[in-house]
Amino acid sequence: MVKDGFTSKIKEISEQNPNLCMQCGTCSASCTGIGAMEELPRQVMRLLQLGKDKVLESPSIWMCTTCLTCTARCPRGIDIARVMEALRVVNLRQGNEVLVLEDIPLELLTEVPQMALTSGFRKLSA
Amino acid sequence: MAIPYFPGCTLKTKATGLDDSTRATLAALGLEVAELPEWTCCGTVYPLAQDNYMGKVAAARILINASKEDDGRLVTVCSFCYNVLKRVNHAIKNDEETRTKLTQFLEEEYAGETKLVHPLELLRDDVGFDTLQKKVNNKLKGIKVASYYGCMLSRPAAEMQFDEESENPTVMEDLVSAMGAEAVDFKYKTTCCGSYQVMKTYDLVVKKVREILEGAKAKGAQVIITSCPLCQFNLDWIQEKIAEEDSSFDKIPVLYFTQLLGVALDVPVEKLGLEKNYVDPKPLLQG
Repeated sequence: MVKDGFTSKIKEISEQNPNLCMQCGTCSASCTGIGAMEELPRQVMRLLQLGKDKVLESPSIWMCTTCLTCTARCPRGIDIARVMEALRVVNLRQGNEVLVLEDIPLELLTEVPQMALTSGFRKLSA
Repeated sequence: MAIPYFPGCTLKTKATGLDDSTRATLAALGLEVAELPEWTCCGTVYPLAQDNYMGKVAAARILINASKEDDGRLVTVCSFCYNVLKRVNHAIKNDEETRTKLTQFLEEEYAGETKLVHPLELLRDDVGFDTLQKKVNNKLKGIKVASYYGCMLSRPAAEMQFDEESENPTVMEDLVSAMGAEAVDFKYKTTCCGSYQVMKTYDLVVKKVREILEGAKAKGAQVIITSCPLCQFNLDWIQEKIAEEDSSFDKIPVLYFTQLLGVALDVPVEKLGLEKNYVDPKPLLQG
């Protein structure tokens, strides 16, 4: 699979234009997952602007909780959560997943509400 | 006439306390709800990928089934269900391609007629907080309550249209005041608890949960209320884990808003499902 033209694929799936981003960092400052990220959301947007396909391998895209705080606050009106989802979706459609049932501790698996399982697997599993 | 009610999967399993207390409190206030026949999972999360229509089919079917009932509304209390159903309905109403694809697939005519309502909206708009105030006992007098909305009730603002300000909703605080308790304001009320990352990036969720709990306690809160079973789980279960490692940690009960309302309305305690809470709320509520 092709990483060629991946930015146009991301634009198509997210219906967002990363080039609108002015790198203010409001998304990073608002992000729930920032404490567990290497590239912050602002940097993810910059890598997309530069067409760097290594962004597809950034662990940061899997730390998103789709809480939509970045989307709510972006002064450029970019739905950043959709961009993050597009980056995950391109991975998931190639079978690259990060949440595997066997890796969830049994103590947690037996206690979590069902919605955690369905939402987690929808967002993080192929 | 009964309003169609969509419980959702988690309310039939881990969060029966939310289901039981919602039904009991609405009934105590004269609002009759009837479970929507043959409902399925709503899909849990709204698909953010433009081309993912399959992730919207289940919610569309539920909304269509609700439109065949006489009332015109559909009540759901789980924040995730409320978010998905409301967003899918919005997409059907406002995006022709989504509407065409979903209705053709389901072989139905539907253009987003169902009005999705949350019990918080029913309490505010149908019962009215002034009326509610006259119906409650004084059991919650002096109890300080932090209202935790999380992400799903109010974001994205344009689609959810929940309360006036998406970043600073106040309907739960108004409910708290009407119940005779004391509402405390705290800045983490619409932050995210970490959600499903509890299964993947556990340490991150512990950090977010601690921020929220400490933020509420710093304002003097004695109990936190929510309408989301995943927020409830993260905020409640993780406290037990924190306390196992840190004996000085001060636990705070995390209830569904309907459970606290049930106490204020003298609903028998066995109908409130309090026994499933990890941090025991009974010492606080028995005062």
